Parts: sequence; C-alpha cells; structure tokens
Amino acid sequence: MMARPAILTGRLGSETLVRLGVLLFALVFLSLGLLFPLAAMLIKSVQDRSGDFVGLANFVRYFQTPALAGSIVNSLVVALSSTVIVVGLAFLCAYGITRTCMPGKRLFRMLAILPILAPSLLPAISLVYLFGNQGWFREALMGQSIYGPIGIVMGMCFWIFPHALMILTTALSTSDARLYEAAETLGTAKWRSFLTIILPGIRYGLISCTFVVFTLAITDFGVPKIIGGQFHVLATDVYRQVVGQQNFQMGAVVSVILLLPALASFAVDRWVQRRQVAQLSSRAVPWQPTPNPLRDWVFTLICYTVGAVILTVIGTAIYASLVQFWPYNLSLTLRHYAFEGLAGGGWAAWLNSVKLGFSVAVVGTLVIFVNAWLVEKSDGYRPLRQGLHLLAMLPMAVPGMVLGLAYIFFFNQAGNPLNWLYGTLAILVLNTLVHFYTVCHLTSITALKQLDSEFEAVGASLKVPFWTTLRRVTLPVSLPAVLDVSVYLFVNAMTTVSAVVFLYTSDTRLASVAVMHLDEAGYFASAAAMAVLIFFTSLGVKLVHATLSHLLLTRAQRWRQAG
Amino acid sequence: MTTLTAPLPRRAAAVGQAADTETDIHLGICGLTKRFGHFTALHEIDLTIREGEFVCFLGPSGCGKTTLLRAIAGLSPQSSGSIVQRGQDISHLPPQARDFGIVFQSYALFPNLTVFDNIAYGLRNQRDDRQAMRKRVDELLALVDLTGSESKYPAALSGGQQQRVALARALATEPALLLLDEPLSALDARVRVHLRGQIKALQARLGVTTIMVTHDQEEALTMADRIVVMNHGVIEQVGTPAEIYRQPASAFVAEFIGSMNFLTVFPEDGDVLRLGSHLLDCPRHDVAGCERARLAIRPEAVELCDAEQGLRARVEHVEFLGAFQRISLTLEECGQTLVADINAREADVLMPGQTLGVRLPPQALRLFADPGARA
Repeated sequence: MMARPAILTGRLGSETLVRLGVLLFALVFLSLGLLFPLAAMLIKSVQDRSGDFVGLANFVRYFQTPALAGSIVNSLVVALSSTVIVVGLAFLCAYGITRTCMPGKRLFRMLAILPILAPSLLPAISLVYLFGNQGWFREALMGQSIYGPIGIVMGMCFWIFPHALMILTTALSTSDARLYEAAETLGTAKWRSFLTIILPGIRYGLISCTFVVFTLAITDFGVPKIIGGQFHVLATDVYRQVVGQQNFQMGAVVSVILLLPALASFAVDRWVQRRQVAQLSSRAVPWQPTPNPLRDWVFTLICYTVGAVILTVIGTAIYASLVQFWPYNLSLTLRHYAFEGLAGGGWAAWLNSVKLGFSVAVVGTLVIFVNAWLVEKSDGYRPLRQGLHLLAMLPMAVPGMVLGLAYIFFFNQAGNPLNWLYGTLAILVLNTLVHFYTVCHLTSITALKQLDSEFEAVGASLKVPFWTTLRRVTLPVSLPAVLDVSVYLFVNAMTTVSAVVFLYTSDTRLASVAVMHLDEAGYFASAAAMAVLIFFTSLGVKLVHATLSHLLLTRAQRWRQAG
Repeated sequence: MTTLTAPLPRRAAAVGQAADTETDIHLGICGLTKRFGHFTALHEIDLTIREGEFVCFLGPSGCGKTTLLRAIAGLSPQSSGSIVQRGQDISHLPPQARDFGIVFQSYALFPNLTVFDNIAYGLRNQRDDRQAMRKRVDELLALVDLTGSESKYPAALSGGQQQRVALARALATEPALLLLDEPLSALDARVRVHLRGQIKALQARLGVTTIMVTHDQEEALTMADRIVVMNHGVIEQVGTPAEIYRQPASAFVAEFIGSMNFLTVFPEDGDVLRLGSHLLDCPRHDVAGCERARLAIRPEAVELCDAEQGLRARVEHVEFLGAFQRISLTLEECGQTLVADINAREADVLMPGQTLGVRLPPQALRLFADPGARA
C-alpha cells in the first residue's frame, strides 16, 4: 500500500477529518449517555454500601428475600397477561383496518393513537375513578380490587395498545395480493388461506410485536406505581429500594434483573428483523379487500368497542379533573388546574416538561439524524459506523428505570468531570434522548434508505462537500421523517416518568413526575388534571405537527407532487 | 475431405496492444484488483484509455464492469493496483479530488431541486458569479435539448429528459472524464435508441473521454470507439466493435456478442480437424494440444448450396423474421445443429425435412479450445 498524503491535505482532507470527528463525537456521546452509566450500575450491583467488591452477595440476598424475589413472578404474570390481551386485541383491530371494508378506518386509527399521547399514569388514574372504592363500575369486578394485578393489566393494555396496533397494521398491510389470488384460483378455503398465507406472512411482525409489548409491559413504572397497591413488580421495586429505602445496591440488583428480559426480547427482535428482510419482495402487489357485510360489521363492532373504551378512559380522567369532589359533588370547576400549594411543582413543572420536550425534540432530532446519516450514507471507517449503529440499537433494550438509576450512579460519582450535569435540565435532556433513541434511529435509517444511494456520490463527483449535500438535498428530502422523529421525542419527553423520576431536582420538576407526586399525596383530582394537561399538550403538538407536515408536503415541497 | 483454403486466424492477444504514445493516454489502469471478502470482483485489470475516446465496458451482470467504473471514480477503492489519469497517480484520491463527471443508472437527480439547480449544483461550489452560472446552465440546457425546462422538478420530467438533465449536471463542471453507469437501461426501447445517438454525438462534439458501462451489446457496438468485454472480473478482449464482432478473442466473447454457432471438432494429427467424419484442413491452428475444440461461425456467414457441394444438412425448422429467415439445420454426418440466417428472398423455397448442403466460408470461421477439454 502506498502512503496517502493527499487525503490529509487541503479541503479534501478537512472533509474526511470532519467526518471522522463527527463519528467519534457520536460514539463518545452514546458511550457517555449509555455505556458508562450501565457499566457503573453493573459495578454497583456487586458492591456493598461502602463500595467494596462483594461478588454476587447482593444477588444472593435478593433471592433470599421473598418480598423482593416475589416481584419477578408478579412482573411476569402481569406482563404475560397484558401481552396476550394486547396482541390479541391489536391483531383483531389491525385485521379490521387492513383486511376488511369497515367504515371509518381513519377515525378509528386516530382514536387508537390517543393513549400514546398520555403518560401511563393517566389510565391508572382513570381506572381508579372507574373501578376504585368510589368507582361507578366497582361491581363489575365482582369483589376483586382494582388495586393490584387486575388494575395493572388493564392500565397496561390501554397504553401499550397503540404500539401493538401500529406494528401489526404495518405487518398485515405489506402482504402480497398475488398469493391470495393464487390461493383463490386453486379453490383454497378461507380458513386455510388464513393459516397458510396470512399467518406465515405476518409471523415476524407478530413475533416482533409480542416482544415489544412484553418489554413495554415488564418495564413500565407508571401504571403499577399508581394502581399496584401492595402488588409489587420489578419496576416499582427499583423505585422503592432507591427512593424509599436509599438502598442503591439493591436498586442496582433489581435493575440488572429487570434488564435481562428486556435484553432477551431485544435479542430475539433483532434476530427476527434480520430474517424478515429476506422475506420482502419489491414486486409484491398490495391486497385490496372486497366488501363482505357480515365480516365488515363484526370488525366495525370490535374496533369501535375498543375506540369507545379508549375514549371512556381518557374522558374519565378529564371529567374527574373537572368535578368538585368525586363522587359527592359533581359540579364542574377548574380549581384542580391551579395546583396551588400542592405537591409536584404545578405549572412550573408543566413548563419544565414543555422545555424538556422542545429541547429533546430539537437536539435529539439533530443528533439522531446526523448519526443515522453517518451510519447509512457515509463511507469509510466501517467498524466505527457499525459500532455506532449497535450503540443506537441498544437503548431499546434498556428500561427507563434502569437508565435513570444508571445515570445516578455514573453522573453523581464524586470525581466524574461531568458531575456538574447532575441536577440540571441538560441531564434530563440527555437521558430522555438516549432513552428513546432507537425508534428515532430506525425511523431515520428507514427514511435514508429510501433515498437514491448515489446522491452522495454525485455530490462528491461535483466537488461539493458532503455537508452541503446533506443540507441541500438529504435533509429536505427526509423532512417528513425528521418531523416524525421530533414529534415522537416531544411526546415521549412529555409523558415519560420512569427514567426521569430519579433525575429531577426541585428546579427541574416535570409534569409527569408531578402527576405521581400529586397521586401519592392524595390529590387525585389534581393528579388527573396534570395528566390531562400533558395529554392535551401532546395532542396540541401532534396536531401542529400534522398541519405542518401537510403544509410542507403540499406547499413548501411542491416537488413531491410534480410527478 | 473439405479443405479450408485460408488459414484460421490465431487467437488475438486478450488485451489490446498499447502502442499509444504517452501523451495520448488519458487513463492508465495497472494490475487493478478488487476483493469483497473472499470474492474477487476484479482480477489484475490492465487497461489504457486514450484521450477523447468513447470506451464501453461490456459484460454480463456480475462481471465486474460497474466495480471497475466505481474504482475509477474512487467510489469503491481498489484493493491493489494503480490508476493514473493524465500522468497523475489518482489511485488513493477520494472521489472529490478526481476529475470526472458521472451519470448513474438511477440518474440520482436531486428531487427537491429544479432542473436549473440540479445542473448548477456543482457550479455553485466554484463560486462562479451568478451571471456566468446562468449562462453556463443555459448552454448546457441547449446542449441536451431541454431549453425551457429549468424551473421544472425532476418528477415532472420523462425518463429520457431526466437522463439528459443528469448528463448536463455531470458535464457542467467540464470534467476531463465522463463516466456513464448503464445510463440507458432504465428507459424504454425507443427512447433508448434515440438517446444513444444523442449521447454519442454530444461526446464526439465535446471530445470528452467517456467510459460507459453497459450489458447491452447493441448499445456498445453502436456507440463505442472501443469495447472492453469483461467476464468474471477479467478482461476478455479489448477492441473496436468490428474487431470484437468479427474476431472474438475467446469463446465467451463470441457467444456474448451477437449469435454464434458452435460446432465441436476434434484436432487430428497435423493441421487437420475432424467434424463428424469430415476432415477439415486447417493450417497453423493453435488447438493441437486439445482433445476437442469449438469451431465458431456467425449464422449470417453460413452459406447454403446443393447437397452435393457442401456438408449435407437437413432443414429442421424455418423461422420468419422479416428481413431474413432463420434456418435450423442438423448436419447429417455428425448430428450437430447449426443455425443459418438467410436473406428472405433466397429462402422461401425451403421446407422442413429438406436436405441441402452447407458451406462454411473459411474467412468467417473462428476456432476456440474447448475449455473443459484441455489435455
């Protein structure tokens, strides 16, 4: 090999250097935001209170304490039940959307997305109002208490449902019409073509969906925190150990245990995704359903029942936040929205959440999109780019509670030069960004993959530096995906509780955490009011996003319609 | 015994002779190898391209022609070997530092920029004043016959128009070398034929050295000054279209370009080849060491005559193809089949089952060693 002096000189050299610099920065960023904190947490789990190495003693103690180890079974029971119910329901609804001629599909899809806009605390609060000791439908539980596994499963199902529906709708709508036509001409019975074509066609989507739902259910903190009562799960144990008992070592142990199912399901999901690629055919013809009154009405009924439940849950929270004193004085008032003198931080917390949301949306979108571009569209430094992709995929496997606790261990260490971050809004931004990194990364990668692979080559052949092509072509063309990413980050920053619950200070209280504190302090109506406030903020941003996207696609980016 | 009166030409050297003077050479490629893991996509490629020449890389998909083009552009650098452009070693320069313009199969037009902005993309960077830029773009638009389309977006253009915009964009910065990666394969047949002529005329007018990758032999034959036929990562032959067609250097080239009859023959003692029980005299052939060899002749070179005057053959099938008829024949002596393209007027009396004579004019014959049977 000859020496390569030309690369290191002049503007061309600087272009290569900039690329390498940004790549290294991205790697350092994700190492600091993800790898080092996780390592700090793993170390903490094998230390005693004074910081000496004790091997697996903490783990042994954990499993010898029935009150703690029992949570594993509790978590599994709750997560598995939720998974079965959510995947089943979501499959029926996704089938209704994609494979029948039921009326009002768009309306239903809009309804179905609503739970994502609320923190997972909201359904829990509503369920307490509906089925709690003062609830309207208390009798429907036939003597069982809503505080416990029943309430948790119901709450989980509510807010995980949109995630499952989106995955399954995508899986069901990408099947190939030609297969069904072939089956029909061969006189195949309907149930047989369901078993032999539909199920195999969506099996990867179904597996992927199952694992996503399971992970969300086993790692969720909000629902069991509000409605779990004395029924403890892993996520609430982490909180109890750390915040309640200041036992950081045991918190680390529970976190490691909570990390395992999430890591396992992450591994399975990656494996599934890799196999699915080979299945897709670009020549597939989309399938169009033909009317069938009986089937269409059955699915309409199912979907709109689900829609009605969603509206009821959200409506209950809104109503509860507006009445004087449930259930004795049902006259309407706005006083619960004053939050004066109550726990949680009130409107200041809401403002902090909005600030956090916008910061994460702006910073996160920029960082994630540039990193995705580095992975997908730049060349050279292959091992570094693969490493970056791997780091970008990892956050999906790390539950929010685990990430939050890991941040305490890492950033609160004496002697860490980044210690100043602790207690600032910046650490909340970093944490939230890393927490929700993976989905945004995948969205950006997918968008970039759809672009012509030669844009960069053309730019280089015309002696245009890569950042100009990125700014003038790649970014504008990917703008819809970029907007999707930013609104996703905003909504999640507004609604998340799990990671940030360890990281806020009195100056950086957040609305979602305030909901939890108001509920803990017994101000149920104000808790509902704050949850509703978060919901409407997210909804507002989502609507602005929809309008903006629409305007963008029809006006500013006229070129999209030129064809 | 049939005697071939003229000697069969020996195999030409696979690589064109580099008789060019130093100054005449635009691009010199030497020992270029490209490996992807264990797969060798290009193996020790040597090639020189003259100033102002239109060269086609022709070969089946997977033969390495696009890989070679991308190595020349610096888009996928070679594993070893060197590339010299106008005396400067560019082997390790990034694409930005090399002097070329490129048109991809997909055109890669920027969808969010107008035709004007697409063409001016490389000009803006040179900090030309706007007046000069405007003038240059107008020139280029006129050159590719698209005056008046400057404010349109690519999606509003037809495939052929998009292709021309891509060409104008590549030429805007006046590169010394133009690279075309299957530029016509995404277009429908009629547009393709039209654009073929346009691109060739444009290239001749500008005198820009051009390399075009294609898998379409007709495209290569009509457009190229020289064709580089590639297969399995090596160059099979370099030559003018006529040389490639008339004197294919290997059985692969013979088979890949146009259609070709192959007859299995057996080298006997001396300069004699045996075809069935016929002995063909063939002085100075170079397949003496082989157990078997393949005698190649184009269908249009096969001559028909009375059964007594040539090799006896039976007509199996007559196919009408407009200007000519394609006759499938079986040689009675050895049972081998042969196709002859005969001018339509001469052939209307032919019927399947008929017996006639076949003459193989020696000047149209090529002889290749049978690859599987080298002793």
